[in-house]
Amino acid sequence: MATNLTGKTIVITGATSGIGLATAEELTRRGAHVIGVGRSVGRCRAAEERLAALNPAARPAFCTADLALQSEVRRLAGEIRGLLAARGPAALDGLVNNAGTFTYWLALTTEGFETQWAVNYLAPFLLTHELLPLLAAAPTARIVTVSSESHAHTSLRWADIQLRRRYNGLLAYQQTKLADILFTAELNRRLRGQAPHVHAFAADPGLVDTPIGQKGTPELVQWVWQRRRDAGIPPAKAAQGIIALLDEGLAPRPDTVYWRHGQPRQPSRQAQDAAAAQRLWALSEQMCGTNNGSLS
Amino acid sequence: MKSYVLITGATGGLGKAFAVECASRGWPLYLTDLRPEPLELLAGALHRTYGVPVRWRACDLTDAGQRTALCEALRSEQARFGGLINVAGGDHEGLFCEQTSAQLRSIVRLNIEATIEMTHALLRLRDASETFRIVNVASLAAFYPMPYKATYAASKRFLLDFSLALRQELAGQGVTVTALCPAGLPTTPACIAAIEAQGVMGQLTTQNTGAAAAGTLDAALAGKAVYIPGLLNRLLRALGGLVPPTVVAWFIGRRWGAARRDLGNPAESSILVPEASPA
Repeated sequence: MATNLTGKTIVITGATSGIGLATAEELTRRGAHVIGVGRSVGRCRAAEERLAALNPAARPAFCTADLALQSEVRRLAGEIRGLLAARGPAALDGLVNNAGTFTYWLALTTEGFETQWAVNYLAPFLLTHELLPLLAAAPTARIVTVSSESHAHTSLRWADIQLRRRYNGLLAYQQTKLADILFTAELNRRLRGQAPHVHAFAADPGLVDTPIGQKGTPELVQWVWQRRRDAGIPPAKAAQGIIALLDEGLAPRPDTVYWRHGQPRQPSRQAQDAAAAQRLWALSEQMCGTNNGSLS
Repeated sequence: MKSYVLITGATGGLGKAFAVECASRGWPLYLTDLRPEPLELLAGALHRTYGVPVRWRACDLTDAGQRTALCEALRSEQARFGGLINVAGGDHEGLFCEQTSAQLRSIVRLNIEATIEMTHALLRLRDASETFRIVNVASLAAFYPMPYKATYAASKRFLLDFSLALRQELAGQGVTVTALCPAGLPTTPACIAAIEAQGVMGQLTTQNTGAAAAGTLDAALAGKAVYIPGLLNRLLRALGGLVPPTVVAWFIGRRWGAARRDLGNPAESSILVPEASPA
């Protein structure tokens, strides 16, 4: 079946399970060339075999990286550049920033960032920066960052944005999902001048049946996540909403930032604060050392 | 803080929390730990994010020769110091009779010898124009004799008494000494498992490392002698002080015996594991 996505090259982070794997599977069925990213070599290999069995012609590939570390995000970007260069003209049609995590106890990465802030927010920010030249080299390109409706329960705590001093795992999670929407809005504003054929979207997958929130957390918190999971839709259904945003044939309105199941939605008032988006951008550039990048 | 603050064990769970907290306050940092790679990553990110100067040097603090070399390097680099946070410390899993003499020796070398020597060396490299702040990471274990963690708890008791005495000796000379006495901190999967094994009490007595680090620095700046993170932990400590030590040891032995059975006697580890401590 030839579709708008046949032959397109798309990077998906967190592609070895949950929403990421379901998105990778559907894209592979539609003939897209998926480059998946996962943390474990074994899980990456298993996912790659699974995709190849669905559609060998799509030539799926996987890279292993721990997105909690900026050094790893940079290394990953280099690896992706190498993969693309080996296949012909180096261009990327889509990037899905899907990888996400939940940590109940405050955990700092080797680089000193709160883990959810690093994985759920800074990694999408930095990977997008690193891959932007490849995305800009495609005729059109889409960047989808997986956010969550839970962003609406909070605002950014500027005085302690990683919540180090007053950590609460769920609040930290919600903040990263809010930051993802603010990042996407500001990214679009900057892309209009730099690369108008690249568009960014934030996707709310809805409640999805995935294993997030089950590791290293007390039973009560596991129970909360489990209730969310029980009420959730299957990952394959959530993937449809992401694929709708990648498929230029479906032409979502590029000026709308926040989407659920392929439909535009209004994010919270905090998520529409343009001044906050610019302030967050400047802070993130400092944290990632991208101050001299193409989007500055 | 205008001059450098030296942090030992800077890339471990609590050490990182101290490093980030100091950097966020704009304090210049000198970091040390066992391995160079994480030190380099942490130093780079802290400098980038907070704009403070961050130097680092890898050192195995259990090794007397390497400690001397580190102090020699500090002298020759002519860095001036405004503070020292002795975080490096650890324990080996296992019963006293199961531990090797090398393991027992390494607990004493890291927790006690390294702290004394670094404190001694840094006091000679202090910036006399500002108050010098010393923080020693002890533990709630410092207050009690602890079956199953006899050597570790006694080494922490040493640090507590050392801190209190030195604080008095140096009072009026622009030096403060603060002993941090936390309950178990959720820094590694093993520590988190130990907290979980204690059930609700584990939950209630556990503080996040970020809050512990911030509270400790506030206590140090206020010249406090001892800082215990968490209201409940302060209360438990106060109650524990009313009971004879032999009774406390009996009680802790019972609790930890049960918790150890829940955890399923963990395999003896060959490395120093950071502070998995009691409540």
